[in-house]
Amino acid sequence: MASSRDDVMELDSFRKGVDHWLDEQEDALAPDHPGLGTLDQQMAQLAKVKRLGYEAGWVRWGWPERVGGLGGSPILRAYLGEALTARDVVEPGVYSMTEVLAPTMIGFARPELAASLVPRLLRGDETWCQGFSEPGTGSNLASLTCRATRTDDGWRVSGQKVWTSYAQYAARCVLLTRTGSQESAHRGITALFIDMDSPGITVRPLQTMHGVDEFSEVFYDDVAVPFERTLGEVDKGWSVAMDLLPYERSTSLWHKGAYLHRKLEHLLAAVPAGALSPAEVGEVVQILYAFRARSRATQYRMAAGDPLGPETSVDKVLVATAEQAVFDLAAAGLAGEVVLGDDGASRRWRSEFLYSRAATIYGGSAEIQRNIIARRILDLGDDR
Amino acid sequence: MIEGHDLELFERSIRQATERHTGAALDAALIELGWQDALAVDRRAAVSVLFALQGSANVTSSALATVVAAGLGLESPAEHGVILPGLGSWAPPAELAGDQLTVGGLGAADLDRRETVLVVAKDPGASGTTLAVTVERSALAVGPVGGLDPALAIAEVSGNGIPFRPIAGEATRGWPEAVALAQMAVAHELIGAARTMLELARDHANNRIQFGQPIGKFQAVRHRLAEALVAIEAADGVLDAAWDIPSPELAAAAKALAGRGARTTARHCQQVLAGIGFTAEHPFHRYFRRILVLDQLFGSARSLTDDLGTRLLASRQLPALLTL
Repeated sequence: MASSRDDVMELDSFRKGVDHWLDEQEDALAPDHPGLGTLDQQMAQLAKVKRLGYEAGWVRWGWPERVGGLGGSPILRAYLGEALTARDVVEPGVYSMTEVLAPTMIGFARPELAASLVPRLLRGDETWCQGFSEPGTGSNLASLTCRATRTDDGWRVSGQKVWTSYAQYAARCVLLTRTGSQESAHRGITALFIDMDSPGITVRPLQTMHGVDEFSEVFYDDVAVPFERTLGEVDKGWSVAMDLLPYERSTSLWHKGAYLHRKLEHLLAAVPAGALSPAEVGEVVQILYAFRARSRATQYRMAAGDPLGPETSVDKVLVATAEQAVFDLAAAGLAGEVVLGDDGASRRWRSEFLYSRAATIYGGSAEIQRNIIARRILDLGDDR
Repeated sequence: MIEGHDLELFERSIRQATERHTGAALDAALIELGWQDALAVDRRAAVSVLFALQGSANVTSSALATVVAAGLGLESPAEHGVILPGLGSWAPPAELAGDQLTVGGLGAADLDRRETVLVVAKDPGASGTTLAVTVERSALAVGPVGGLDPALAIAEVSGNGIPFRPIAGEATRGWPEAVALAQMAVAHELIGAARTMLELARDHANNRIQFGQPIGKFQAVRHRLAEALVAIEAADGVLDAAWDIPSPELAAAAKALAGRGARTTARHCQQVLAGIGFTAEHPFHRYFRRILVLDQLFGSARSLTDDLGTRLLASRQLPALLTL
C-alpha cells in the first residue's frame, strides 16, 4: 500500500496497513540472527527495519512533514512500535530512542537543522544518543559540570558523560553542558547537538551485568561545536531536558508494554506445569494490565495535544514495577533456564531478567519518580 | 450520554446528596435527582459518579442492588432488594434443584426496607445458565447485622426450599454482565474511599510538625503517600479502560486492583496518620472498615487474582486486551 501524504490517516486504517505490511514483509523484516543476538546485530536489525519502514512510509506517519514525516497523530507511532515489538522484530529499548530524540530536535533545533537531520534518524541511516548523566551527576541532573565555553567561532566542550546508551553507534548526541557558573544549577545549562565524529571525543563502552554493553562513558576533550548546533536558548537547556522527559515516559513506555506482554505470552507457553502458582501469575498479569491501561490513556492524551507533566511519573513507576514483576515471574517459572541454561533461549531469558533489574534505576530512579509524585502531584511541598 | 455541562451539574448534585445523606435518606435523594433515569441513559456516568462519591463520603445507599438488577436487564431495577454473592465470591447466590430454591449470600442494609428480593440462581439442570427469581423478604433468614462495618450492615442471608416467582425475559441470561457492572461499581467505591484516605493522610503530613518541620518533608513519609497514589491510579486506569473496552476480564481486574490498591493505601495512610488515625475519633477507621468489606463483594482481590491465574495457566494464553 502506498502511503499518501494527503490522507489524514486514522488509527484503524493505519493498523490494518501496518499489520498487512508486517505479514507481507515477514521474511524481509525478520532478524538475520537467532534469539536476542549481539548488540551489533540488534543495531543492524534496527537500521534495516527503519529503512524498510521508511521506504514503505509507515515509519514516517505521526511525524511532522517538515522533518520528513507524513503528518498524523503520534498515536500512529505508538501503534507501529507496539506492532514491531509484539512480533519480536525490534527490541523496544533501541527502537524507542527515536521517540525521545526526534521530538527534542523538532522542538528546539533550528528548523533547517531538524529538516536535514531528523529524516536520517527516522530512516535508520544514523543512531543518536543522549548525553545527560555524568559521574558526579545522576539523580541530581542540575549539578552537571561538562563545560561548554564560548569562543569566537563556536563552543568548546570539555568534560565527561556516563550511561550514554548506544554512544558507540551514535552519529550525533543531544548533550547537556554547563554554560553558567556551577552555582547557577538548572539556570546555567545549555543543550548542544554534536557530531560524535568530532575530534576530541572518546567513547568507552561499559561492561554490564546482563552482557549487552549498551551504556558508555564518553569523554569530551576540547571538542569544537558550531553555535548553530545550540538547541533552544543559551542557558535554557533545562527546559530542553524537561521537555524531553515526558516523551521518555509516553510512546516509548507503550512500546515497552507491548514487549512485556510478549514476554509474558512466551513465559505462559514455556513454563513447566506446576512451576507457578495461580495467584502469582494472576497478580503479575494485573500489574501489566494496570500499566498498559495507564499508558494507553497517556497515548490518547498526547494525541489530543494535552501537555504531559508529572503524572507521567506514575506511568514510569508502573512500567518499572511491571517489568520487574514479569521477569521475577520468569525467573521463578523458568528457573532451570535462567539459572543453568546455556542455549540461546535460556541466555536470552537470563539477560533480559538481569536487565530488568535496571528498570527502577535508569531514566529517573524509582525514588526520583516518587519524589516528583510527592512534590508535584500530592503537593507535599519541597523536600529540601 | 451525559456530557459537558450536564455532567458537571449531575456530579455536583450527586456530590451534595452524598455529603448530606446516607442510607434510606440518600436513596430518597437519588430518586429525587433522577439517578435511576441517568442509569438508564448513561451507565458509565451514573455508576462512576455515584459510587466514587459514595466511597469518598463513606455513605451507603441501595444503588448496588439497582446496578445488579440493571445489569440483569430488568426494566425497573430499583423495584426489589438483591441478594449479593457470598464473601469473596461472584457466583450466583442461590441454586435451583427441581422446584427447590436454596439461597446463600449477602444482604445489604436496604434489605429490611424491602418486601421482595431478587435472587439469581444457578440451574444445575442446564449447565452455566442462571435464573432470576423474586422471593418474599420474610421467607429469608438474615444473620446478625453488624460485623466489621456496622454502617454498611452487610449480613448473611440464607434459606432452603423457599417459594419463588420467576422473572420472565432476558434477565435469566445476564449474570456475567451483572457481575461485571457490579465489580466496576464497587471498584469505583473502593477508589473513592482510597482517595479520601490519601487526602486525610496528606493533610496530616502537611500539618503535623515534628523535628521542627511538617512530617511530609520526610522522604519516608512522602514515598509512602506516593506509593498509595500509584496503587490508586493503577486501579483507576484499568477501571477507565473497562468502561472504554467492556470486557469481563477488565472488570474483574479493575475490582481486584481496586481492592488491593485500597488496602495498600490504607496501610500507608494509617502509618502516616499514626496515633490519631488509630482512634475512633478520627474518620480513618470508617474508611478502613468499609474497604475491607467492599473488597469481599463480587470477588476479592485474592479470589479474583487466583481465578485469573488459574485460567491463564490452563489456557497458556494471554488475551490481547488493552489495544490502542
